[in-house]
Amino acid sequence: MPENDDGLEELGLSKSLTRRQVLRRTVGGFLVLYGGALPKVAAAGVPKHVHRQYKNTLKIIQWSHFVPAYDVWFDKTYTKRWGDKHDTDVQVDHIALAQLPARAQAEVAAQSGHDIFGHLSPQAGLEDQVINHKEIIQEVTRKVGKVSQVGFKSCYNPRTHKWHGFPENYVPDPIHFRKDLWHQVGLKPSTWDDVRKAAPKLKALGHPVGLGMSNELDSNMLLIALMQCYGAFIQNAHARPSINSKHTVEALKTMRDIYKNGMTNEIFAWTAASNNQGYLSGRLSLAVNAISIIRSAEDANPALAQNTSVAPIPRGPVQRLGLEHVMGVYTIWKFSKQKALAKRFIADLEVNYQGAFKNSKFYNFPAFRGAVHNYTRQLAADPHKGKYKVLDLIARKYTVNLGYPGFSNAAIDEIFNTWLVPQMFAQVAQGKMTPAEAAKAAEHEFKPIFAKWRARGKI
Amino acid sequence: MWSTLRERGISYLIVGPFAIVLAFPFYWMLVTAFKTNGDLYDLNNVPFTYHPSQAAVGEKLPFRHDHWLPFGFENATTSHVSFIFHNTNYLRWVENTAVVGGLVVAITLLFAVPAGYSLARLSGRWGQSVGVGIFLTYLVPPTLLFLPLSRVISKLGLQDRIWSLVLVYPSFTIPFATWLLMGFFRTIPAELEDAALVDGCSRLKALARVIFPISIPGILTVVIFSFSLCVNEFVYAITFVSGTKQHTISAGVPTDLIRGDVYFWQSLMAATLIPSIPLALLYNSFLDRFIAGFTGGAFR
Repeated sequence: MPENDDGLEELGLSKSLTRRQVLRRTVGGFLVLYGGALPKVAAAGVPKHVHRQYKNTLKIIQWSHFVPAYDVWFDKTYTKRWGDKHDTDVQVDHIALAQLPARAQAEVAAQSGHDIFGHLSPQAGLEDQVINHKEIIQEVTRKVGKVSQVGFKSCYNPRTHKWHGFPENYVPDPIHFRKDLWHQVGLKPSTWDDVRKAAPKLKALGHPVGLGMSNELDSNMLLIALMQCYGAFIQNAHARPSINSKHTVEALKTMRDIYKNGMTNEIFAWTAASNNQGYLSGRLSLAVNAISIIRSAEDANPALAQNTSVAPIPRGPVQRLGLEHVMGVYTIWKFSKQKALAKRFIADLEVNYQGAFKNSKFYNFPAFRGAVHNYTRQLAADPHKGKYKVLDLIARKYTVNLGYPGFSNAAIDEIFNTWLVPQMFAQVAQGKMTPAEAAKAAEHEFKPIFAKWRARGKI
Repeated sequence: MWSTLRERGISYLIVGPFAIVLAFPFYWMLVTAFKTNGDLYDLNNVPFTYHPSQAAVGEKLPFRHDHWLPFGFENATTSHVSFIFHNTNYLRWVENTAVVGGLVVAITLLFAVPAGYSLARLSGRWGQSVGVGIFLTYLVPPTLLFLPLSRVISKLGLQDRIWSLVLVYPSFTIPFATWLLMGFFRTIPAELEDAALVDGCSRLKALARVIFPISIPGILTVVIFSFSLCVNEFVYAITFVSGTKQHTISAGVPTDLIRGDVYFWQSLMAATLIPSIPLALLYNSFLDRFIAGFTGGAFR
């Protein structure tokens, strides 16, 4: 027994193998495994142009799409074909949704990185770092028709007359609700008042509604949409803060009531995945989210999918008006060395958006409506009994840009990314402020943000 | 004999609950990795065993006829574990992690051993202050440093290459390792070196022949701890390297197995459990030395 192994003996580990033997065997095994591959490599010789040698390289980064098949199609089919045609090696990198902002900041700081960056919200705050995408907009408009209002107001700055991004797609934001449970309480989530009335009954059944009030994307989207239904907006059409209004107060009261009577405090720790997990587990009776919920249910729990209705956002006392759930925006950095190729790639992708629409399982709606032919017929042809037809209605009538009725400017970008709206709602729901106080406090926070960006000449 | 048994019994009684609590996350990971979606998402099911459920699209139930299996394992699926091997670059991430970890450990030892020794022996009263100063740099979070460092990485042309991590990781492993080794070297009596010097050794020879061999616990602690830090690091790994084939485990797993707001829970559990097993065995094999290394400087 080696002298150093007394400690191991106490642990009962050294009776069969000494530590030295363990190390030797581990290193030996590693060498055998790696060494075993050597003759194979040697026999094969130096690879001779296994891959085609391309003249150019184009680097793209975007999120890992919730439909894995979309990434397979995009990375291995679409970009390969496009690359062959343009003698370009298109390299696509993926990153988790939550890491996109940090990665973008790192690329800006380094002044190097990818030629095309795929964001999931308008990026007016990065306007000085990106090229004017006007040329691509013009080309795509010529080929497939006008850009949607959502795309226009998300990516255009009327003050500087610059397209700070290219609106590739937007995602309609429906509600998902359990037909059986809502039937039991004798209501339908057609209006926010219906939700308010049904929430306590649904909670009593053990199936609360799931409406987040935390620092994350889905809560932000839902709560701004709720405000819109009550006629409340972060800014007016002239980019002046308009949060402190009686409409905001009414929206705050509604959400406070829904929380107090129909939800639990888990909604203050909501994450982007909470809707999906809560709904897929069968616990939630209603969730507001893009179609990732219903698409996941179709695979994981077909019975639940059948029992789920997808519908437009409930109507408020003023109107029915939701937000895009995700705004797919491509930007080309000023530092990119492949600007011309990047422009060509984006224009070609949008003009031929059929593949993206289909492979994303109707998640990505083209920002240029004319880019997909027979749009509504395709939605109707989905094997799930026409469930997705409603997305067209939501996309056309009930979806506006972040910052509506104004543009998605840098101030909106900052307010959105610092979660000030969910914080305002949470303060009221937790009883820390009255609705009127919260609206006033929010205005107090918003004003300097607007003033800062106005002073910088961006709004 | 009875007293020995009683002593052992009491020891197990005290240690047992701790062992269960600490092993529990691993058990949960293991169980979840083989669950079907239907089983996982049904709140009426006990999460620690398997239950019959309708298999989701693409889920195979290879054990469904083996009714003798414990914990209802006949209802388990291997599809989510096999997903990480067939649909992601998981093995490549493991390999990248091993390469980065190995190189960073080597660089860390190269700098931290002489630095720790110098601070312990040669710097007098200044040693302690400088040691604390070095340790403080370890406390600066990567979330603050990744922006300026990304400029450095870009200037050196290392963006999207694992070499960027090999360069950056020592910035947090070396300070910690130096501080740890400084404490450890202080526990070794200076008389041992004096004796070696009197016998004709140079300072370096005394270091190599006398000090290093008895410093193995400290050095092993640095090896294991530095390697663990590299495996766990996330911010640099995600921001400096974006190509999926260049990722380490900590960046590759969340990138490919959290898609938008959909978490591939079973695959996530499997992907995190697999590398933790050899690491746990490594810790266990050197447990006594690891404890000696960590507590070496604690009483001086």
